[in-house]
Amino acid sequence: MITAALIVDTFREALARKIFWGLFALSLLMILFFLFVMRIDVVEGATATISLFGQTADKTNVGVDKLVPQIHGAIAAFLYSFGMFLAIFASAGLIPSVLEPGRIELVLSKPVSRAHLLAGRFLGNLLVVGINLTLLVTGIWLIFGWKTGFWNVPFLLTIPLTLFIFAVMLTVVALVGVLWESTALSVMVPVFLMILSPVLAQDKVVRKLLDSEWSRDLWHALYYALPKVFDTGRIILQVVTGKGAGMGAFEWWPIWTSAAFAIVVYGTAQWVFSRRDF
Amino acid sequence: MPAEFAIETEHLRKVFRNRWTGREVCAVDDLSLRVRRGTTFGLLGPNGAGKTTFVKMLLSACHPTAGVARVYGQDTRHPASRKPIGYLPENHRFPTYFTGAGMLDFYAALSGMDGAARRRLIPELFDRVGLDRKWMDVRIGKYSKGMLQRVGLAQALIHSPDLLILDEPTDGVDPVGRRHIRDVLQKLEGNGVTVLLNSHLLEEVELFCRDVAIVNKGRIVLQGEVAQLTAGKGYQIKTNSMNGHREIHLPTREAANVEIDRLRREGIEIESLQPVASRLEDVFIEAVGGKK
Repeated sequence: MITAALIVDTFREALARKIFWGLFALSLLMILFFLFVMRIDVVEGATATISLFGQTADKTNVGVDKLVPQIHGAIAAFLYSFGMFLAIFASAGLIPSVLEPGRIELVLSKPVSRAHLLAGRFLGNLLVVGINLTLLVTGIWLIFGWKTGFWNVPFLLTIPLTLFIFAVMLTVVALVGVLWESTALSVMVPVFLMILSPVLAQDKVVRKLLDSEWSRDLWHALYYALPKVFDTGRIILQVVTGKGAGMGAFEWWPIWTSAAFAIVVYGTAQWVFSRRDF
Repeated sequence: MPAEFAIETEHLRKVFRNRWTGREVCAVDDLSLRVRRGTTFGLLGPNGAGKTTFVKMLLSACHPTAGVARVYGQDTRHPASRKPIGYLPENHRFPTYFTGAGMLDFYAALSGMDGAARRRLIPELFDRVGLDRKWMDVRIGKYSKGMLQRVGLAQALIHSPDLLILDEPTDGVDPVGRRHIRDVLQKLEGNGVTVLLNSHLLEEVELFCRDVAIVNKGRIVLQGEVAQLTAGKGYQIKTNSMNGHREIHLPTREAANVEIDRLRREGIEIESLQPVASRLEDVFIEAVGGKK
C-alpha cells in the first residue's frame, strides 16, 4: 500500500507538471503520423509504394519482411536517442523535488523507511516513462502490422531495452538528486554520460592512439565501468532489424555491465540518502 | 508493558560538520529529556537553540551524533517508532498539485491507513480543523496560509496519533482560528494524546502546555510544570488606609498570613490579596540569560 502511494504520488506530480501529458502528446503525435501520414501499399508481399505527405517514393519492390524491420530500426534508434534525452529532461526533477526542505521532513515523519521512499519515487518515475514508451512502441507496431500485414515482434523488445537504459540513467539521476538536490545537475550528469558513451565505445580505435599504458588502461576502465548506452543502442538495432542469427548471437555484456553500474549507483544513492540529515 | 514516557532522550547530541571547511557546529548538546505520556509539552528556546534539530532527531530526519532517542520506548532509528507520531512542520511545503483531500489521503496512506478508513475520515478531519468541505477538492496551491496550517494539522491527526509534534501550529492563523486550533488540541489532551508544542508564542505555550522545557545552545536550561515555574513569587496585598493605597509583597504564604493578622489588628482595610505569578516570558528570559 505504501509503495503504491509513493508511486501514485510520483505519477500525480508528473501529471501536474505536465511531464506525463507532454510525453503522451509526443507519443500520440508519432502514432498519428504513422497512422495517417505514412502510407504503405503492399502487393504480394512486396512494397508497391511508400508515400509520405502525399509524395510517393520510387517503386522498390522490397519485401515487407525487410522494409518493416528497417523502418522499425530507425524508429527504435530515434526513440532510444532523442526519446531518452527527452525522458531524462522531463523527469529528472521528480526525485530532487521530494527532497525539498519543508516537504522531506513530513514524508520522513511517516513510518516509511528511506529506502522505501527512494524506491517508490524511482519506480514511479520509471512508470511514467514506461507507460508512454509502451504506448508509443505498441501503437507503431500495431499500425505497421495492420498496414503491411507483417508483425515484426522483435520491435517490441525496444520497450524493455530502452526502459532498461532509462532505468540505468535514472539511478544516476537518483544519486545526483540525493547528493545535491539539483534538478539541473540531475539532467546534466546522465546526459553527459550518454554523450560520453559513443566516444568511449571507440575503445579499440582510441587505445591505439593513446601513447601511455596508464591512459589506455584508464580509457578501458571507463569504458567498462560506465553505462554502455551506445552499445545497448546497437543491440536494440540488431534485435529490431533482425541482423543476428537469434537472441543468443548478440553480445549481451553491455547490458550486464550497465546493470552492474546501475546496481552500484543505486546502492550508493540509497546509502547516501540513508545517511543524510534534512 | 507500555513505555512510561512518550519521548525519552539520553545524552542526545548533534554536531553538524561542514563538508568542505570541516567547521563544526553543535546544535544539540547532551540533551536528556523525558516527556510523560498524555501531557502537553512546550519546547521553548531562542532562535538557533536546537529545538528544530531535536524534533528532527525524534523523527529521524536528522541522525544523532551521539545518544539515543526513543518514542514510546522504540528507538527513533526504526521507522516503526514513527507510527504513533503526527507531525506538522514549521516551514512546510505541501506539494501544490494535491487537493486538500488528496494530500490527506497520501499522508494517511504513508501512515499505513487503509483506503476505506481514509475515505471515511478525510471529510471528518476537514470539519474537525474548521475547514469547509468545499475545499476538499481544491488544489492546496489556492489555500491561504491559515488554511494550510489547518489542513497540515488535519494530516497530522488523520491516523489518530498518540504523539503530536507541532512546530508553530498557529503561525499565520487568525485569532479565531488560533482559538479553534487550541480547542482541537485541548480535546486531544483529554483523550490522552501527548502533544509536543514547539512555538515562539510564549503566551500560547503558557495557555496550553502543562510541562515545558527551555533549550538554549543545545542544552536544557530549565524544565518543569508551567504552573510551578510561573508560581513561587509570593503574594501581594493591597491595602487602603487614611495614608492612601499601599502594596505589600510577601515571599511566602505564612508571611502573608502574619501580615494580614497585623493589618487587621491595626484596622487597616485589605483591598485585595493575590498570589504573584511571573509570566512564562519572564521565566524564559531569565533562563536563557537575557535581560528583563
